[in-house]
Amino acid sequence: MSYYDIDEILTEAEKIPCTFQLDVPDLGYLDNNPSAPLKAGTDVSLPLWLAELLALPAQGTDDGRAFATIELPSPLSQEVFQALKADPRAVPLRDQSAHFYSLATRMLDLFDEKELTAVLRKTFAVRAGEIALHARKGVTGAGGGTAEDKASNLGVGGAGEEFLRGLDEWERRLFRKAHDGCKAGKEWMDGVKKH
Amino acid sequence: MYGDLGNKLVQHAKRTQNLTHLPPYQTELVRTVTHEVRDLDKYVKSILEPYQDGSFDPNADQATACTLMVNHLAMRRNKRCLLAYHRTRTDKLEELVWSGTDIVDLAGQQQQRSAPGAANVSGMNGDGASSSLSPQEEDYMRQYSDLLAAYKGQWTDIDLTGSLEPPRDLFIDVRVLKDAGEIQTEYGAINLTKNSQFYVRQGDVERLIAQGYLQKLS
Repeated sequence: MSYYDIDEILTEAEKIPCTFQLDVPDLGYLDNNPSAPLKAGTDVSLPLWLAELLALPAQGTDDGRAFATIELPSPLSQEVFQALKADPRAVPLRDQSAHFYSLATRMLDLFDEKELTAVLRKTFAVRAGEIALHARKGVTGAGGGTAEDKASNLGVGGAGEEFLRGLDEWERRLFRKAHDGCKAGKEWMDGVKKH
Repeated sequence: MYGDLGNKLVQHAKRTQNLTHLPPYQTELVRTVTHEVRDLDKYVKSILEPYQDGSFDPNADQATACTLMVNHLAMRRNKRCLLAYHRTRTDKLEELVWSGTDIVDLAGQQQQRSAPGAANVSGMNGDGASSSLSPQEEDYMRQYSDLLAAYKGQWTDIDLTGSLEPPRDLFIDVRVLKDAGEIQTEYGAINLTKNSQFYVRQGDVERLIAQGYLQKLS
């Protein structure tokens, strides 16, 4: 969570559905129509960096109204939510958003969705186990293992390939760390035997 | 939309993080994003023109307040994108300096990649047009190298940028890949001419191996 964090910045570029609450004459371009004013009630997709602050209630006003209201973006929709509940491993999170978890974390700061939080937490735990399994297979599979396991040097072969393709950015990092860790451990063990 | 170009810049930075070399500086993109910020700033100033004395009341004119806010956020976003992009690159540059890459080598590599065979014509003078660094970055790297050299100078018996691998042997066989001139060692001077082979103390030639002048023979 740093100002310079590239992934954080890319997360903030994710589009969030917003509904404007007032007429703004000069912001027509947000709705791809620069010549016309932006009417109250227009639905527009805005990046998180913009949507987040527009949705904050204006300070100092009597009614405390925000410029726009926001909804949960499609990666966190009910369909995805149901699919994750059924089997977290079967959902390619990357197709939803390359920064799925980090987007979810940011959105849950704004929305109070206890159930969603619980599902996401379980999703990560289940998938992390699967990731660790694949990461290990990549290392140990080099010696024995099936031909499929050896298809690539990361051991990303066969059925696991599809799962690994669906990892979001955070999970990818986890996979790489787990894989490097296993590999370093194995190398060290080999070195111990030799000397 | 505002901020889209900045996003592109950050995507470049993301790619840079996973590369071993430094891709060319996005001069054009950086300029366009900076222009966008200037345009936004002008726009904001023109909106606030009638309120010279700071009499603007956000509550009285919410639509204008909203426009100002959107513009301000777009500027802030662009600033963050620009800074993050440059920070990613300077991090990479610092890494390169610590690993002993010479700025001249870096420019040379770039030339070889863009025009094979023409590298020896343009020589080793780090011609700005073909370098993947911006002039400012070259300057940064040079000054950072000086800084690191000054820092390392405090400990003459430890090479802070040396290899962390403990050596297996004190002496190694090396082959000379590029003429490196004469070097002084404890055992006298050696003249490193291309394609010759020597049995030398590892500590004496570590730098030259890292810089690609010598190749270690196992």
